[in-house]
Amino acid sequence: MSADHGGSHGHVRVAAVDAGDRTGGWLPDVDARMATFESSLSAILEPSITVIENADRIAVVPDVHYPFHPSTGMVTDPALVGALVSHIERRGDAEIDVVGAGTGIDADRTAAYLGYPAVLERFEATFSGIDDETSRTRVVRSVDDRSVPFAVPTDLLERTVVVVPTLRPTESGAVAGGMRTLAALGDETDDPDATAVAAADIVDPALSILDATTAYGGTPHAANAIFAGPTAPTDAVAASLLGRSIDEEPALSLALEDGARIDVERVGPEARTLDVEAIGDRLSGGELPPDGDMHPVVTAAYRLYAAAGRDAVPPQLEGKGDAD
Amino acid sequence: MNTALLSRLTESDSLAVGVLGAGNIGTVHLKSALVMPGVDVRAVADARSENRARAKRAGVSRTYDDYATLLESEDLDAAVVALPPFLHADAVEQAAAAGIDVFVEKPLARSSAEADRMLEAATDAGIAVGVDHTLRYQPDVVGVKEAYEDGRVGHVPYASITRLNDGALGRPPATDSPPEWPLDADAAGGGSLLELGIHCFDVLEWLFGDLEVESAAIGETLELPVEDAATVLLRAPETETTITLHCGSYQWEQLPEVNTRLRLEGVTGTIANEEYLPENFYASAAKSAIGNVAGRVTGDDPDVFGPTFYLRAHYDALAAFFDAIRNDERPPVDGRDGKRTLELAEAAYECAKPTGSNDLEATEVTL
Repeated sequence: MSADHGGSHGHVRVAAVDAGDRTGGWLPDVDARMATFESSLSAILEPSITVIENADRIAVVPDVHYPFHPSTGMVTDPALVGALVSHIERRGDAEIDVVGAGTGIDADRTAAYLGYPAVLERFEATFSGIDDETSRTRVVRSVDDRSVPFAVPTDLLERTVVVVPTLRPTESGAVAGGMRTLAALGDETDDPDATAVAAADIVDPALSILDATTAYGGTPHAANAIFAGPTAPTDAVAASLLGRSIDEEPALSLALEDGARIDVERVGPEARTLDVEAIGDRLSGGELPPDGDMHPVVTAAYRLYAAAGRDAVPPQLEGKGDAD
Repeated sequence: MNTALLSRLTESDSLAVGVLGAGNIGTVHLKSALVMPGVDVRAVADARSENRARAKRAGVSRTYDDYATLLESEDLDAAVVALPPFLHADAVEQAAAAGIDVFVEKPLARSSAEADRMLEAATDAGIAVGVDHTLRYQPDVVGVKEAYEDGRVGHVPYASITRLNDGALGRPPATDSPPEWPLDADAAGGGSLLELGIHCFDVLEWLFGDLEVESAAIGETLELPVEDAATVLLRAPETETTITLHCGSYQWEQLPEVNTRLRLEGVTGTIANEEYLPENFYASAAKSAIGNVAGRVTGDDPDVFGPTFYLRAHYDALAAFFDAIRNDERPPVDGRDGKRTLELAEAAYECAKPTGSNDLEATEVTL
């Protein structure tokens, strides 16, 4: 598989996750899930292992934006993060933090619900939620000839970063990806595409590992694969798997040079049987479920009806501006 | 109901009502009461300013930021208690002290012991206590009850009920922080079993009479402080029916569909609530809306919340409570019913407790 954007070359590795015992596509036991990542992690980390071995301090940044069940594919599986931390600990003596930010919810609370404390207590790693109290450094990058600020958590500037997004779309339809996972560590922005590019440039992750063990593309899909590579090319592969044109993904268009070419290399023990195209076929065009909020026209029509029919307007039909 | 209150009710055409708590379900009760004939909503209390503002937009003239002040300040016949469960006991006790009947959102209390305390205060003060167990007001559940009472499938050896939704944690794209109290056992009294299972217990005893809990299992799909799934095996001695109950707050809910399934497996066939649900919710809503608009011409009372199907049950439950207190009758779902559901939930929690090794006595071998 290759995603052709012409120009420079991006290289992404993909490995199959051992799905042998995943009855129903999911293993509830976190230790059992961690064990399934052993060979695939070794295979995709191999080119980056020197960087990891030589690092003094490492930050692993998963998608913990909300406490969705990991079997939905809407967040990174904590078991993958645990397996990654285990792998890093075996290969070096870096101090490891798992760092994440929530969307509207306290990240430490999300991490607790997702089971991060229990996973990380197996190792010498801790979870650090990013919040308003986090020390930040404002850095400005030029993106598409614009100055784009990003309030990066200061500690990340001093760490080797591995970002671990999950394979899912965002509410806007764009791919979530590593760039946006990093951007979520900063402040809210009116320009999420340029901010995502700036965030990835400033944090400069050593590696992006895309969790496609369970992906979300309209419904969950046990794709049983993990991808790894530089952040923007790995996001480009994610976009391709979700059926998004790279040219129509503003953040990717900004991050990748015109004509960039991204190759995907199958690695690991199951490389020959790994069907990446089938994953793309299954997920292509997938979006988040409808948000449940009524269209403003519907809420206006209901109010009109309620007045004419002497009915009450339920809170769900009041419209966003009126609800609590 | 005390004599003073009876006197007040008979002197007035309308019930004077206060609404304590105007979050989501409190607003449903508020809006029901606002359009209910013979009901005068005097005031609303809510700690959140945005909820008070919404109540004012709905047509309430006076709002308070705490329910105690409302109860002290207003001359009420009844109060709707739609506060988080940890405030139910205090609100009911304060209402009792003021001689105000109460309609309490489920669960009535966090435990049967707390319910006992509330009901004792209510009895001492002579106030009525109603509980918002709405499932038995839903048309689909009413349809099952009527078919069962009709004997349509003969003896029912087995029944099952399932109620699932997404609880305090939302579905994508969830952006708001979930409230803390539903995930706090001290504040809510429990998890799914008290949030959803309690409705199921109420319906099952309404259908089959007294229930006995045979066994139960509870669990969490995430690392939550309360259970988000529970399965209970029940026995109804009167009807000799074995029943399974499953409730969970782990499933994304896609309105207008609501995942409540009730099936009675009888000797000659099955009664299922799905038979009594609209085939198409949108067509059903349109039909109800047209009927309400036409009713303005014909003079018929509107079918309040009719187009929403499920919310109508809340209106009917509240209206039935108000009718009962107007007529000095026992509320159709009263405090004893609410307490009974808590007793069943507690029995299920007890059954679900793991039997650890500490419970086992060491085997002694004497040679």
